[in-house]
Amino acid sequence: MLPALDISTSALVAQRIRLDAVSSNLANLNSLERDASGNMQPYQSRYVIFQTDEALETKQGAVGVKVASVQTEQIEPLYRWQPSHPYAIKDGPKKGYVAYPNVNMTAEMVDALVATRAYEANIGAMELSKNMAQQSLRILG
Amino acid sequence: MLSGLFNSTTIPALGEVLNFAQARHTVLAGNIANVNTPGYRLRDLSQTEFQQRLKEAITASRTSAQAVSPGLAYSEPGDPMRQVRSSLENLVYHDNTNIDLEKQVAEMTKNHLLHNFALTVMTDQFQLLQSAISERV
Amino acid sequence: MTPITGLPLTPPQAPALANPLAPANAGGQQFKNILLEALNQVNTMQGQANEAVQQLVTGGDVNPAEVLTTLQKADISFRMMLQIRNKLVQAYQEVNNIRI
Repeated sequence: MLPALDISTSALVAQRIRLDAVSSNLANLNSLERDASGNMQPYQSRYVIFQTDEALETKQGAVGVKVASVQTEQIEPLYRWQPSHPYAIKDGPKKGYVAYPNVNMTAEMVDALVATRAYEANIGAMELSKNMAQQSLRILG
Repeated sequence: MLSGLFNSTTIPALGEVLNFAQARHTVLAGNIANVNTPGYRLRDLSQTEFQQRLKEAITASRTSAQAVSPGLAYSEPGDPMRQVRSSLENLVYHDNTNIDLEKQVAEMTKNHLLHNFALTVMTDQFQLLQSAISERV
Repeated sequence: MTPITGLPLTPPQAPALANPLAPANAGGQQFKNILLEALNQVNTMQGQANEAVQQLVTGGDVNPAEVLTTLQKADISFRMMLQIRNKLVQAYQEVNNIRI
């Protein structure tokens, strides 16, 4: 009953996950993380990939949305000259530099705004769905 | 006799309008949900196409004295009713979508008004029939 | 003294009662016509309202407010007719219950 509510809810969930990724990026502007081989690497931004959710498809062609995966960026970190830092690079052309995360704060904030706007639009759609269902009850007088 | 009770009113046609309005509402909600999905193109149910079909069904039901057949709002993929009105088309963004959020919300509101209108008129017709049957004004 | 001749003792003619049923019938005929005409009008209005609604949902060039007004007029005239019919039936039953 009322697949529109399910579809809008799937969008709310997806946008919330996206907002979580943005919060994670903004919180870890300056942190390091341990990668697969056990080394400390600078934090890389996380981003989500949206996909249409075929499980929620109705006969009329309306589909929901789901988060297909959360990916990690692979961009060049920022380097700062700190030769006495415990995590400074020991050898190579970047000797003495420390690698810091290269999170683009402006892009992340814009992403958060877009996610909020989409969230509100979906809440509006849910209000209309609810209203429609309640009005339909009036057929019974 | 009893099935012909409703054929002289507009109740069958209005029921079809209600079905269409609810189906279209779901499709528009799906559009709004997928506003950030890469590669998602606008989907819609064409209102002019539906109205054309309804007109033909009403004319057919008048000549054959049968009810307006249900299932007018049903469409397969590739159905002309599923084409998107050209004024709703938007330019394609870099992530291969073409959804304009404001237009979708506006379409949803208009659809909602149509739904409420059809609902109110249908309720009114039912009440008229009831007052005729119960002889109570 | 002349003898009293027979007086003309014809009973007075009741005026215009040669056909006692004619005026009531003429009145009844008029009333029936009025009633039938009113019923036809109500039917026409209902038909117009249905037509207007169908025009609107099939994409016609008609104002929704106008359609609603037409619907309401048809509705009210139908209910008025129903009420008149109820009163007539009630009156008939009262007349039936007059004990001779």
